[in-house]
Order: sequence, then structure tokens, then C-alpha cells
Amino acid sequence: MRSIGHGVMMTVLLMDTLGAVIWPGTVAAQERQVVDMVAERFTFTPSRLEVPVGTTVEIHIRSEDTNHGFHLVNGRNVIVPKRRQGEAVVVFEAEAVGVYQFECSKLCGAGHNFMKGEIIVTGPDDGDNDDGTGAGNDDS
Amino acid sequence: MSRNRAASRASLQCFTGLCLALSLTASTATAQSQVITADDERLDAVNRLTRWAAGGWRLGYVGSLPGVTTSGVARLWMPEMPAAMRLGRVVAATGARRGTGQGASQTVEADQVVSNTSLSGYMDFHFNNREHEDPVIDFHRFVLLFTHSFSDRVRFVSELELEHSLVGPEDEGELELEQAYIDFLLTRELNFRAGMLLVPMGIINERHEPPVFHGVERPFVDDVIVPSTWFDAGAGVHGEIGQGLRYRTYVMAPLDASGFTAEEGIRDGRQKGAEANVRNIATTGRVEYVGLPGFWAGASFWRGKTGFAFPRIESQATVGEVDARYRVGELEARAQYAHVWLDGMGELNRALRLATQPGANIARQIRGFYLEASYFVLPNPAPREAAVFVRYENFDTQYRMPAGFQRLQQFDRDAWVFGFSYYPDPDVVLKLDYSVVRNQSDVIDEPSSLNVGLGWWF
Repeated sequence: MRSIGHGVMMTVLLMDTLGAVIWPGTVAAQERQVVDMVAERFTFTPSRLEVPVGTTVEIHIRSEDTNHGFHLVNGRNVIVPKRRQGEAVVVFEAEAVGVYQFECSKLCGAGHNFMKGEIIVTGPDDGDNDDGTGAGNDDS
Repeated sequence: MSRNRAASRASLQCFTGLCLALSLTASTATAQSQVITADDERLDAVNRLTRWAAGGWRLGYVGSLPGVTTSGVARLWMPEMPAAMRLGRVVAATGARRGTGQGASQTVEADQVVSNTSLSGYMDFHFNNREHEDPVIDFHRFVLLFTHSFSDRVRFVSELELEHSLVGPEDEGELELEQAYIDFLLTRELNFRAGMLLVPMGIINERHEPPVFHGVERPFVDDVIVPSTWFDAGAGVHGEIGQGLRYRTYVMAPLDASGFTAEEGIRDGRQKGAEANVRNIATTGRVEYVGLPGFWAGASFWRGKTGFAFPRIESQATVGEVDARYRVGELEARAQYAHVWLDGMGELNRALRLATQPGANIARQIRGFYLEASYFVLPNPAPREAAVFVRYENFDTQYRMPAGFQRLQQFDRDAWVFGFSYYPDPDVVLKLDYSVVRNQSDVIDEPSSLNVGLGWWF
């Protein structure tokens, strides 16, 4: 069963790669990073990702307990299946420098509001997270 | 005695049968609803795959749910989620995405909001058979959580709990508002919170849904030493720094020393936010590290004056606690140690003996710890799960006594708890355990107990 699941994921990734080449509006030369993330009452691990601008980040999120949500603040929202019931895959294209906060969007218990994290998209200059464009979805 | 045992056996069989029937029904219903959801998602996604647009950072989604075949995995790759996908997905997203530049050059229309208000809850249904007593069935906890997001930054969370199902002057039951606060989410590092708060202490107090701990009842240490569920009115800040270093610190209503007892320590000193006396305030806090998958470690404290009911007595409570959890593969281990220092207990005991409690014998230090190991026995992946566990606890509410007072040996206790947890669904658990409790007294026995429980979260 697990191998079938992996097969599915590989197929999807292959389709995605082809899509990046063929389909309009995609960036063919982007660097891709795959991140495994664990969602569990009441944390994402890792809760902080730092990637250079231009990177495509593929985040595979699996739960260790109940349903969680992965919600990019002011952005999209997906549901993370319960433990042992699969994973959610979020693809994030880091095309603009900024800090992108994400959080659990499915009420998961008493400490639900603690469950958050951030994706930091850095510019070409090390340590410079703000190119003055105000890009990103976080104004903190 | 034999009649008692037969009745107990019959009750246990009925209860277990009922629990299994409920579990199987629930898991079947859940599986069906998931297949329907997956099918809907697949159709939705396939019908909209042509709506791509160029530019902008994008969030794609690969649906992956149980029962979905290879052809059922759909990929969304579009800046704007179709409205049909948003429905039922967005829980609390409002407002427009801000920003400029290539990554977010356009103002995006706000997500459709299905509801900013959420309802969740958990329940705990127990069968307890203690030695030398009649067995009891108890709907121990019926808890509803209501939340509302005024915006992404301002949120309300509440937890209303009915314990032992019936509240009345002659009944055991309690209706408690365990949480009701507003969170002002400023940054990842700094957020503000005010209202009725859970004390950030130990493994269980803030994380007490039935499927997340083994054993029908919470650990003794999290009942007698750390008086969970420990909550009170307060305000404070919380946040996360770096990769998984979290903190929270609050000022809260203090404990009331007139409720302290020899048997249960500070447990009955909780004011629970009910016209709580705040002539003095308590401070509490916790730091924890959650930066590695499967590993959690934390340390907590509480400190506050407790003697407002006896103004001439200088009494104070200080609680220190450390805990850790580690999971590798199917094995999980937990450990917790808590220590309570109580100042002014000699004077308080004398005052209480003259007033309301002739036998007052409160210690100046109490402490407890436990170690637990559990192992998931069914292979992963499996549609259902089962775990076995064993826990050793040692807890002493007479650890150090004030001058002139003798230890009551029956309150120096330890316990072995072992049993299993069966999960027809990750949010539903059927538990069975046996607790062997001992104490240091030569005269007074501590009863052991057989416990069966059904708990669920939704």
C-alpha cells in the first residue's frame, strides 16, 4: 500500500516536472526543494523554512494525530489527513522576498493557536529578507 | 462479594460491547465520508486544471486521502483556488493578500469565508472498577470548544466542560469554563493573550484530548501534583523563537491556600476564575523545544502568594516542572517531574485546625514523577491502530513537612499502570488499563482499579 502511495507521488511529481516545461506560466529553471513536515498537536516540525528566492518548495505534510490544516496567512488552505491516512503536499514558489506565515486552520485542540510557522524567502544578499518591495504576506 | 464481582463482570462486558459497536460504526461511517470527499475533490480539480495563470507565488495542492486510487490524485496548480474548492476548505481566511513585486503584484480577492466560527469537542466515557467498591460508569467529560476569528490577528478560543454529566448541589458534576480568551497574534515571536487561560504546565494540562494520552484516567501526577485541568483568569504573552523554541508567560489569579489538602496538595486551591481574589497575582511560564520531529522537551514554573484567606499568614506556592516526550518509529516514551514548594504551611495548618479542618496536615514540599513507554503493535500503514503501554508513577503529597507535623504515610504513593489503547480512527480511542496503586502506610490500603474508557475528539 505504501509503495503504491509512493508510486502515486512519483507520478504526480513527474507530471509536475513535465508541466513546468510544457505549460505556460510556469518557471522551468527553478530550483526545487522537498521538505518533510510533521503536523502534531500543537506544532509543525519544522516550523520555520528559509529558502532563497526563486526556489520551488514542495512541502510534504503528514499528521501524527488528527486532521490539521495548512493555511498560508492571506493565502490558500489545505487539509492535512489524519495519522496514517496520507499526506498533503503543498507547493510553494518563492518568487518574491518576504516572510510568509502559515498556521493550522483546523481547530485541533486546546493549543490550536500555538500551531504556526513561517517560510522566509531570502534575497540574493545573505540576511536581507526585505528588498523594499514589501512583498510577502506578512507585515510583521 | 461474588455477587458484586459478577455484577462488575456483567457491567464490564456490556460496556466493552457497546464501545466496540460504537467504534466500528464510527470507523465505517468515517471511511465512507472520506471516499465521497475524495471523489468530489478529484472532479473539482480535473474540471479546473485549465485555469492556470502566469506569475505570482502559488500554492498547489495534491489531494491524498485514504481510498483514493492513483487516478484519483489530482493536482491543483493555479494562483486562484476555484470558488468551489474554497467552499468547505477555508476555515478562517479573510482579507486580501498584500504586497507588490512579481511575487504578489496583484491584490487578490479575499477568500470566500464559509465560517469564521468553529466548533470542536471531545468526550470521555469511563467504566471504573476499584477494589472494594461497586463499579461505576461515568460520562466523565463532555467538552465543547468554540472559536471565532475576528480576523487573522484577533481570535477567540473557548472550552466549556461538563464533568460527570450532572451538576447539582448533591451531585459530583461540575460545569467549568476552562478556556475563554482572546489572542492578539502580532508576530511569530510575540503574541498577547487575555481571558481564562490554561496554566502552561506539564504534558497533559494543555494537551488533554483523550486520544493523545494512554490510560483511561490522566496520570496521577497530572492530577495530584499538577492539578490538571489547571486554569484561571489571566493575561500574558507567547511566541516562538528560531527553530522550535517556544515560550509563554502569564500573570494569573493565585492559588487559595485555604483549599490545600494533605491528600491532593494544591488541587483544591484553584480559584478557576470565579470571582478570583487577585490581591496578589501569580506568575507562570513555560519554555519548550519542539524543533525535532518526535521530540518535545519543556520546563514550567508557577509562583504566587496564596494566603489571602488568612491575611496574617505569609504563604506562597512555587511549582517547578520538567518533561519530555520522544517518539521513534512505533515506540514513544514520556517522562515528567513536578515539585511544589509551599511556604507558611506550618502556620496555615495551625490556622486551619482552629477553623475548618481539624486534621489539616499540609506539607511544605510535594513532588511526583512518571515514566511511560508505549508501542504501536499494528503494522504501519494499517486502517486501525493499537498500542500497549506501561507507566510507573511516584507521587508524594507529604514529601517534606513543616516543623511539628508528621508525614501521613498513606499519601506517599506509587502506581503501575498498564493497558492498551485501540484506535478505530485516530480521533477515537477505546482504552483499557489496570492500575496497581500502593502507599507507604502499614494500615491503609490504596485500591487498585480496572478501567475501561471510550474517548473521542471531533
